[in-house]
Order: sequence, then structure tokens, then C-alpha cells
Amino acid sequence: MDPELKRLSEFDERIQEIARELGLDFFPQEFDAIPAQKMLQVLAYRFPVNFSHWSFGRDYEREKTKYEHGFGIPYELVLNSNPSRAYLMNTNPFTVQVMVMAHVYAHNDFMKNNFHFKPTRRDILPSASEAAIRFQRYEKRFGLEEVERLMDTGLSIEFNIDPDFFIKEENEEQKRERLSTPPRKAEVLGPYDDLISRKKVERPSAEDYNRKTPPEPERDVLLYIINHSPKPLKEWEKDILSVIRDQSRYFMPQRRTKIMNEGWATFWHMKIMDRLFKERLLKEEEHGYYNLYNARVLATSPRTINPYLVGLKIFEDIEDRWNKGRFGREWEECEDPKEKEAWDLELGQGREKIFEVRRSYTDRFFIEHFLREKLVDELELYLYEGRQEAGEIKYVISERDWRRIKNLLVSHLSTFDIPLIMVEDGDYKGKREIYLKHAYEGIELDQEYREKTMKHIFYLWDRPVHLESIVDGKTVIFTFDGSSHSQNPQR
Amino acid sequence: MAIKRQDWGLSQRGLKDAARHREKIREFIQKNIADIISDASIITRKKGQIVKVPIRGLKSYRFVFRRESSGGTGMGQGNGEKGDVIGRQPIHGQPGQPGDQPGVDFLETEIDIEELIDMMLEDLGLPNLKKKAFTETAIPKGWKYDSIEKTGIIAHLDKKRTLKEAVKRTAAFVGELMKKTGHSEEVCRRALAIARGDLVRAEKILKERKLEEEVDDFIPLFSEDLRYRTLERDVEYQSNAVVLAMMDVSGSMGTMKKYLARSFFFWLVEFLRQIYNHVQIRFIAHTTEAKLVDEHEFFHKGESGGTFCHSAYDLAIHLAETEYSPSRWNIYPFHFSDGEDFDPLKTVASVKRLMQMGINMLGYGEIRADLYTTSHLMETFAEELHIKKRHLYETDFEIFFGTDESTPFVGAVLKDKSHVYLALKEFLKKDRPF
Repeated sequence: MDPELKRLSEFDERIQEIARELGLDFFPQEFDAIPAQKMLQVLAYRFPVNFSHWSFGRDYEREKTKYEHGFGIPYELVLNSNPSRAYLMNTNPFTVQVMVMAHVYAHNDFMKNNFHFKPTRRDILPSASEAAIRFQRYEKRFGLEEVERLMDTGLSIEFNIDPDFFIKEENEEQKRERLSTPPRKAEVLGPYDDLISRKKVERPSAEDYNRKTPPEPERDVLLYIINHSPKPLKEWEKDILSVIRDQSRYFMPQRRTKIMNEGWATFWHMKIMDRLFKERLLKEEEHGYYNLYNARVLATSPRTINPYLVGLKIFEDIEDRWNKGRFGREWEECEDPKEKEAWDLELGQGREKIFEVRRSYTDRFFIEHFLREKLVDELELYLYEGRQEAGEIKYVISERDWRRIKNLLVSHLSTFDIPLIMVEDGDYKGKREIYLKHAYEGIELDQEYREKTMKHIFYLWDRPVHLESIVDGKTVIFTFDGSSHSQNPQR
Repeated sequence: MAIKRQDWGLSQRGLKDAARHREKIREFIQKNIADIISDASIITRKKGQIVKVPIRGLKSYRFVFRRESSGGTGMGQGNGEKGDVIGRQPIHGQPGQPGDQPGVDFLETEIDIEELIDMMLEDLGLPNLKKKAFTETAIPKGWKYDSIEKTGIIAHLDKKRTLKEAVKRTAAFVGELMKKTGHSEEVCRRALAIARGDLVRAEKILKERKLEEEVDDFIPLFSEDLRYRTLERDVEYQSNAVVLAMMDVSGSMGTMKKYLARSFFFWLVEFLRQIYNHVQIRFIAHTTEAKLVDEHEFFHKGESGGTFCHSAYDLAIHLAETEYSPSRWNIYPFHFSDGEDFDPLKTVASVKRLMQMGINMLGYGEIRADLYTTSHLMETFAEELHIKKRHLYETDFEIFFGTDESTPFVGAVLKDKSHVYLALKEFLKKDRPF
């Protein structure tokens, strides 16, 4: 075995011991040291082997060009599977490789233990390579253009699925039953019973629900189309759409916990590296390398936020606050800055708290509960706007107020930058047209993208597609009827 | 132990799908060629260069929020106060259209200028134009030798070919003698020489006596060895078309206007050079006076001063009278201006004279890229020349054309970049009455 690889596996052993000591709990871990070319491919295709599509080819070429122009390539890439699989760049200097391995064990722990990862398919890797083979057969049988066209449409709504898929999936019948069953009455009347309203709530009858499809607004647009398209979709088409949906669901927890997951991994790789240096397993001169690369991981950039840095700082802050008892009503109500400065109840609950947070939170609530004014200042977060002037776009800082910044971040994270679109009616006007509704939360849809996406949906549904949204504060219904776009009320 | 360093055979999937993406881009270019051909970086290219088409990769469409660049809000990190500029980015394409991924773009499609032109030719249906509008004519150049015959006049005797035939025949005779008499080649050759080439006599000599005397090498020549050359009239096929590219380069032609005219001429020239080897193109730049310039100067130089459009037409008439006689040349004058003319009626008179000389077609493009120009030469043409006007393709592009052989006039009013392509299409359209 090559001596460097030998030394690396000795570190692997030690990292695992330290990680377990620190409380991390992970799946068995496999590492692959891979060349750039392979890393670029995994980045573009999302998996080591996946089906063919021109957009993956485009991303591959884009990543490759960026790489060739000297832009960075990730040090690692971890896949949520059991055993966990991680790819390491084979060009990482030794110390960096050690740091990255420590980082990976924390990701592994996060994905094993975070509640939102529980229902994910841990066998996604073989299923992706099987799909690649099946789709190739479809290409031969039905033609590249046909298959490609369908993938285009499926990928256009791949993110319009239900992010909370850990809730048991119901079919329409089960939904109707749940919705039309009145809640049970409280059996014991207590002393405060009179506080509970006794007003009878009008509930739609089971029959009303029978007529309606979907029974209640459906967030999983892709699934609804797979199951209910009047086109109707052929089996191979459903297969492709289902694979796209499965893959999208697989990545959903990662998308929802980006800041936490990276923050968590950074928090622990720093702790583990400290130990390794203390134990003198890494040499003095290797410290320089580590500092340099760790600083790169934590670097800020003017037009995007760094999830590694933001997540790390929040976890550190939580640990500190729960160690010192800086939470709860008394802390909140204390207004003496000096007293606050010195506040330390010596509770030592920090570790426990961050493990609890990693188990049950997503980014949205993580930010909502724990991003406070002090952190916004320390992290130097701001909002900016693009303004068009004299043939260029100027990006200008538009907001430094911490509440507004936090609000926007929370609202972005609640849909994680994907507009929430729901199927309101799959039998609109009784003509089996589809009526979608954009749950508007302050940001309008992009017109060009909206129109092209509606066209894609039309291809799948084969009947007119309607979309309700808000433009300039007013409700507008957009329609694509197969040949042209219209809107009501008209502009 | 779970660290591996596998030998990764490089999978072709990435490359294959990337190629498919490029193929789709190409289809996209083909569909959007009108926008692409008027791109500045194409017009000012140097010969032989590859054109970089600013395609940023095809977009993956999905429901997205409006972006920062089109008025949305983004989030960043760093120092700075409210109002501080944290970045700039040039606007590509139409404003308000977000890229697939914001920020720097790393995909640029490289495309060969020839390939781009092929796409345009295909789209325009121009290969037919070759046979119709610009017909090739046969021009006698004198005589040339054609084939070799066994009969002919002695003046056309081809000595080399004749000698070759004789050598061949002599060799055959020697072979024959060797077979019949069993003597060596040397002896048979001598006998044939003594018999002055007579095969029967040579055979007799070989049978009658021994050959000991030295004989000079001799190749007997018979009449069936003679070869003559024939002559044919020599004809050269030439397209013999001349394009007189005329352009107003005066002060009133602003940057944008010149840019449009340049786009048009650039593509016209590229087209014709692509189709014909022998199209002549003369460049006439004019202000109040017209002069012949070279291609580079034509596209790259501007002058100040007023405008007499007739000066260009007068120079065209002069050229038709001296260098390009309409009886031997197909003449295609194309003129671009912004419509400003200090003496439009005089221009009309010159245009009429030029048309009467028997030119094939006269093209006039008027560029109205701004609202400042008040006089419009095209309006004078419309009044004075008996031409028809029509709007095109549900655009604000206007086209004017003569309706019979005596008025081979096509005029177009160009208001923006997209009209360049429409104008090209109209000017090069086949099946006109003239």
C-alpha cells in the first residue's frame, strides 16, 4: 500500500475514535479518492452514475470549464447512503484530506440522525444506475427526442414536490376520508370547557370531497400529474417521471438543511483537527496548510452567503448560550447590558442542545430560532439589489437591518428558493384542465421561466394549464392552452 | 479499511451529453439566426476567425422567483454600508431575463463563420439563387487541345505520342520474331532494322543468314503510329456579376446606423463570396462626393460632411459605362443611407439613369435608427419611381419594390438589428419580375 494512503487510513481510525468520543454517531464510511474529471461528473450528474440528459452534459461542461479556468473544485462530496459514500479529491494535500475526512464523518452523523433524512432511500446509488440502463433502452425504443422531451418536462417540475414527505403518503380516497371525518368530541368536560367554542363548524360532506380532485390543494405537483394526467401517460413515461421524482425527494433533505449540515460538519472538523494537532499526530508544518484551507472554507463573498460559516457560527452560539444559560424568559427580559455580558448560569447544556438541534431542525427553523442580532452583525450579512444602469447591472447593498435580513432569509428557506406551487383543481371547469396556484409570499415569479414551465406541464397534461399568481399586488390567472399564453385580467 | 484510490476509467457519459447539449445549442442558433448575425463581435471579426456566439447554455426552465438582476433581492456577506456598490455585471441579451445561473458565464459556443453562413443559406433557401438571379455566362477564351485522334492534319501531329506508339509496336514485332524463330531479342531487333521494319522480310533474313554486322538502333515508323491532336474552342464560365456596394459615410450616419449598414454589407459580401468565386465587389463611400475605397476602409472609416446621394449613383453609372458594361456584366448596386439627402430629386434622376442602363437590380436600404432625421429619400423614391410598398412579417419593417422590368428596384426601411436579416432576405429573393 502506498505510504500516504497507509498514513491516511491510520488517521481514519483515529478520527473515528475521536468522533465517537465526541458523541457523533455515523454509518460505516467509505472513501474514494478520485480525480477531478470524475468529481466534475459526479457534481453534474448528482450521482456517480446516473441517466443521460443534455442538462447534465451542460453542467458537466460548465463545471469543467470553470475548473480549467482555475476555479475551485469541492474537496469532497458525500452521498446520503448506508454505508455512507464520500468522494475526496485526489489532489487534496494530505492535511486537507484529513480535515475533509473529519468533515465527512460529521455529515455522515447528520444524515444518519437528522429527522428529515429518515425516510430517504439509502439505496439510491444502485437505483440510479439501474435507471440509467432502463432509460437507454427507452431511447432505443422510442427515440432520443421523445425521451429527452419527457425528461425536459419532468425536470422542469422536479422541485414541485411535497418537501414534508416523511408524513405518510395517502391516496385520494384516504385523503377524502380524513377530510370529511369530523374531529372527535372531547369526552371529559373540564372546568374550562366553556372556553372552548361550541360553535358547530360546517364541514363539507364526504360527497363534496368525492367530487373534488385533488381533495385538498396538492403540493406534490409531479406526483399528481403522474397519477392523474388525462393524456394518459405511458408506463415508460411514468417510470422516467417517477425516477426524477425519487431523486428529487432524495435530495430534498439536503436542500432543506444546507446551512445546518455544512455548519455542523465544519464545527466538528475543527474540533477533531484541534485534537489531532494536540496529540501531535499532525506536524507543526502541516498546521499552516490546515489554517489556509480552513480559512478558504470560511471565506465570505459579496453576493452570496457562506453556509459553512453561517451554520458554524450559529452552532457555536447555541452551544455557548446553553452552556451559560443564556436563554429563557429571564434572559430575554434582562435589559442590563452589563448583567447580560456577564451572564453565566454554568448550566453546561450546550453540547446536549446542539445535538438536539441537529436531530430535529431544518434550516428554516434553525435560522428563525437561533439567528440573532449579534450574529447578523458578526457575520456581516446584508441584502442587496441589482439595479440596471448604463448597460450594466449594479449590485447595491439595500438593507442592513437584522430583522429584515432574517425575515427574508426565513422566507427564502421556507420554500428554499423554490416557489410553492400547488394543484388546486385537476378537473377545472369540469374539463379536466389543470389549475395551479402559486402560494405567493412576496416575490413574484419570473415570467419567461413561468411561461416555458407551463408549456412543459401542458406537454404532460395535454389540456390547458392555468396558474394563479400575484403580479403587482393583484391576482392574475395565467393560461397556456397549447398554442398561446394569456392572462386574466389582462394587462 | 475503507479508503480506496480506484483507477477510474473515464466514463464517456459526460462528454456524450455535453455534445448533445452543443447540438441543441446549434439548433437554437439556427432558430435565432437573425439576432446572432447582427452581433457586433461577428461583424468586426478578422478573417478566418471563429465566431464566439454568446449562448450561455440552454436554460433549464422551472418555476423560479424573479432574480436580483431584474429587481429581486439577494443576500451577501461583507463590509459596507447601505447604498454601497458590491458588484457590477454587463448586461447581455435582453434586460430582465435571468440567466440559468447568475454570475459569470462559462459556456460560449464557438462556431465557424462558414458554418454559420451555411445555416443562413439553408434558412434563406439561397442555393437556388445561384441558378436564378446570378446566372453564369460562358466567355470564349480562344482554343485548347482536347483529344488525341489517329487522323488529322500534319500540323497537329503529336510527335511524342506517335513515337510512343512506334516503340510499342516495334517491341511487339521483336517479340513476335523471337517466338517464331527462337533467336535472341538482340538478334531479332537487328534483323528488323535491316528489314527496315518489315516483319515478313525480317523473318526471312533470320532464316537465311547469320547476323554478324553491327546495325544502328532503328525504330521504324508506320502510318498507323501517327497520332494527331484535335483543337476545341475554349470557354470559361464566369459569374461576371459585380456588386456595387454604396454607403453614406457622412456625419449624419450615426454609430448605430453605420453599424446596421455594415452588418448588411458584411453579410451580403460573405454570402456572395460563399456562393461565387468570381463575383466582383466594388465599394463606394460617399458624402457629398463619392469615391472608390477598399473593403476595409469602407467598413471602418467615417467622414464628416453633408450628403449628396446622387454622387454615389453617378459613380456607379460611370463604372457601368467604363469597366462593367451591362452587356457583359450583371450589375447589382446596393445603396445604404439614413435618408438624408441634400438633393433627392437629383438622386432620383441618377437612379433612373442607372436603371435604364440595364442593371439587374438596384437595392436601397434606408436606416432609421433614430428619430432625428427628418428627410427621407425613400419617400421621394416612392413618389417618383412607381414602386409598391408593403409591411412585412407583422413587423414594422417596410419594403418597397418595383413591379416590372423597367424598375428593378427593391428598397427597405430598417429600424433595428432584426431588420438586417429581413432586408437581406428581401434583397436576395428570387422570382422577382426583374
